[in-house]
Amino acid sequence: MADQNKTDTEGKFYSEILSPSELFAARSRSHKIPVKGQKEFFPDNSEEQRQRLEQSLNEHWSLISEERVERLGNLVKALWIPSEQIVELQSPAGKFWQTMGFSANGKQCLLPEEALYLMECGNLQVFYKDLPLSIQDGYERFLCSDTVGLQQYQVYGHLKRLGYVVHRFDPSSEPSSYARKLNLPQSRDKAGRQLKRKRSPSPSLTSSRAEAQDESTTEKMEVEDKYSHVGEEDKKLPASPLTPPTSSSDVSRGQTWWMTDIPRDRESHQASTTGSSCWDFSAISFPDLGSSSTLSGCLDPPDPLLLPGGFTVGVCDVASWRQKINQREVKMSSKEQMREEEKRRQGRDVDKEVQQCRNWAEYQKLMVRRQEQCEGRPAHLWNTEVTPLHDPTQPISTGELLDKISVIKSTHLLEGASRLKRSDEWRICFNVYQPDTVADFKKSNPGKPYSRMCVCSFSGPVPDLRDIKQLALQSGNAPVVFAVVDYGDISFYTFKDFQLPTDVFP
Amino acid sequence: MEEEDPPPVVGLSLCHSAPLLWRAPDLRAVRSQGLVGALLGSLPRTPRQNGRLGRPLLLLPEEERLLTEHRAAAALPDHDQDRGWVELRQQHEEEQQRNFEEQSVLALEDRKASLLRAMTSSLTQSGAGTTDEDLRGHLEALDRNFSFPCAALAVQLSTTRAGLGYCPEARALLLADWPMRELDAPSCDTRYQVFRDLRGRGFYLTSAGKFGGDFLVYPGDPLRFHAHFIAVCLALDESLPLLDVLAVARLGSNVKKTVLLCSPGTDRVRYTSVQWSGMV
Repeated sequence: MADQNKTDTEGKFYSEILSPSELFAARSRSHKIPVKGQKEFFPDNSEEQRQRLEQSLNEHWSLISEERVERLGNLVKALWIPSEQIVELQSPAGKFWQTMGFSANGKQCLLPEEALYLMECGNLQVFYKDLPLSIQDGYERFLCSDTVGLQQYQVYGHLKRLGYVVHRFDPSSEPSSYARKLNLPQSRDKAGRQLKRKRSPSPSLTSSRAEAQDESTTEKMEVEDKYSHVGEEDKKLPASPLTPPTSSSDVSRGQTWWMTDIPRDRESHQASTTGSSCWDFSAISFPDLGSSSTLSGCLDPPDPLLLPGGFTVGVCDVASWRQKINQREVKMSSKEQMREEEKRRQGRDVDKEVQQCRNWAEYQKLMVRRQEQCEGRPAHLWNTEVTPLHDPTQPISTGELLDKISVIKSTHLLEGASRLKRSDEWRICFNVYQPDTVADFKKSNPGKPYSRMCVCSFSGPVPDLRDIKQLALQSGNAPVVFAVVDYGDISFYTFKDFQLPTDVFP
Repeated sequence: MEEEDPPPVVGLSLCHSAPLLWRAPDLRAVRSQGLVGALLGSLPRTPRQNGRLGRPLLLLPEEERLLTEHRAAAALPDHDQDRGWVELRQQHEEEQQRNFEEQSVLALEDRKASLLRAMTSSLTQSGAGTTDEDLRGHLEALDRNFSFPCAALAVQLSTTRAGLGYCPEARALLLADWPMRELDAPSCDTRYQVFRDLRGRGFYLTSAGKFGGDFLVYPGDPLRFHAHFIAVCLALDESLPLLDVLAVARLGSNVKKTVLLCSPGTDRVRYTSVQWSGMV
């Protein structure tokens, strides 16, 4: 075959159209590529070297000039439709249909680059005005610089030949950054775990606060089931979301305010005007849904003075809640009981000053005063607007401290990307899926791509940080890879987030 | 490498301003002038690999310019000129028909030959089992019953567009037309001066983007020889950060190549080689 071509080329008239006998003979030609052999370092004008070069060149030209010959039965027939820039299949698609093409109006279609690649692979024969298109026609008609131009096609073909599944990137089919945020898998996990553990119908509560609540409620009230109370108290006592969110010990301390044995002396406090009146404990109803059977279906709104400002709480119908809660008695071992007792004592003994607060305003004032009084802290540093980065009296781990004093924070690629103005200089061209996924690849649900390709060349600019951020945002879950086309060579580069390692461990 | 004089005119077809060569003789012609280019297409014989690629051949801008200066290249007409489509279609249909007829004759001969081979080999093996009569009968039956299925027809998927002048006369016409495009951009001029000088000295050049330079310089055909140099093209008055020089020199030594800083002067191109000494 190769020899035949050679004799042809030596004639003065050369045709690349094969004769019927050549076509027939081509059916049994070899598919092996001759090995190139070791290259030499320097031309020494020797006869052997000249012969080796000639042999290499002959092999090269016979490879290059070889024409594609296929059995008609192995070719898929298709039509080029220039107005829509697609190729419509006229006969059933081959194996390639699993990863390429799409259906539109009941017809099987291929994108131009897919069609061109399949033509080059000898799988597809594309007709236009009843004439088969050559590969050259394909390059000149199918490639369009707005979508997939020559460079993009070079990258496409390179990746396809390596076995990757390559699809055009469609920005509109990607979830927006907002949608992606709502879908964060770890946040979903968290909610699920919490629900399971709490078995309570108030999933909005964070688990840490729920625990704190558990402790405090069981302390104060003789409650049968501590879990049942969490959700229920949430509903009728809006005070709970307002417990100082610092720590659970604060909460248990706070609980003692409701005790009847609260100290009555007020001299040490500058009580607010409403201070004394609101602590009439006979007037404060503290409903216990779990045990009280006499309670009516509705709860009166709590005294607004008991609440920190900004809240209005209406009448609460608890009938439905009572049905939902578990009213069985909690069975505690003696050990557990002792522990509870211990906790209660600690909570009560701890903070006399806090116990003396009579309402929220006072408590908050106390806290502010304490903050100010912290010892070992030069007060003047803290009086002005600019204050030290860290209060030395506050215990903190080394890692946290390092983080706190690093004024210039490290950032990651996606940070602030959504606020950037869009530029059209760069675009993602392809979604790339790994070859080993081909077997169970679904075009309708391709899943997360292995990477997304941008195509550029060495003569063009290097993407700046803004471009990289924007592309990363647009890409979302898959890394963006830059395919740099240098005439025939293609190199792949990627920018990655990097976190400096730290040797401080919490 | 039989050189004709004057060098044959090669037909460039532009694909989004990229100069591509499609015809095998054109590829040979430019190679015989020491221009390598870059192959872009899938190799027909084994399309699904990247080790060896096939037509088309993309020319570097410098290669295109050199050919143009030697009046050895002409741009081919655009594909949009669909003239003669009707004739072409008719021609194509006739060719297909002829193809089918001739191939079915060839296929029948092929079958007969293999039948003959099988029969004679069984004849020699089993002694006198079958006779000439049998053989003739078989062949006649084959003649009567043989039909060449359409699906078995071998067809060509042409690489090059049909209907364009393959003969020298058509090329002469193209040459007379001389539809070459304007290429010059002053920034590329440095590169071109260097390219032309090195090519004039017998070196083969390819693009060296992956080595951080402008050209890879080969002492002979890249098919048989390793590149010796990485050429970095700079105007004489252009300044280059020292770190860049060091980086490219170090990279060159890592791939066992010498870095050449090439600057076209008024009379000739000046070359400076940079090598990392490797001393510690």
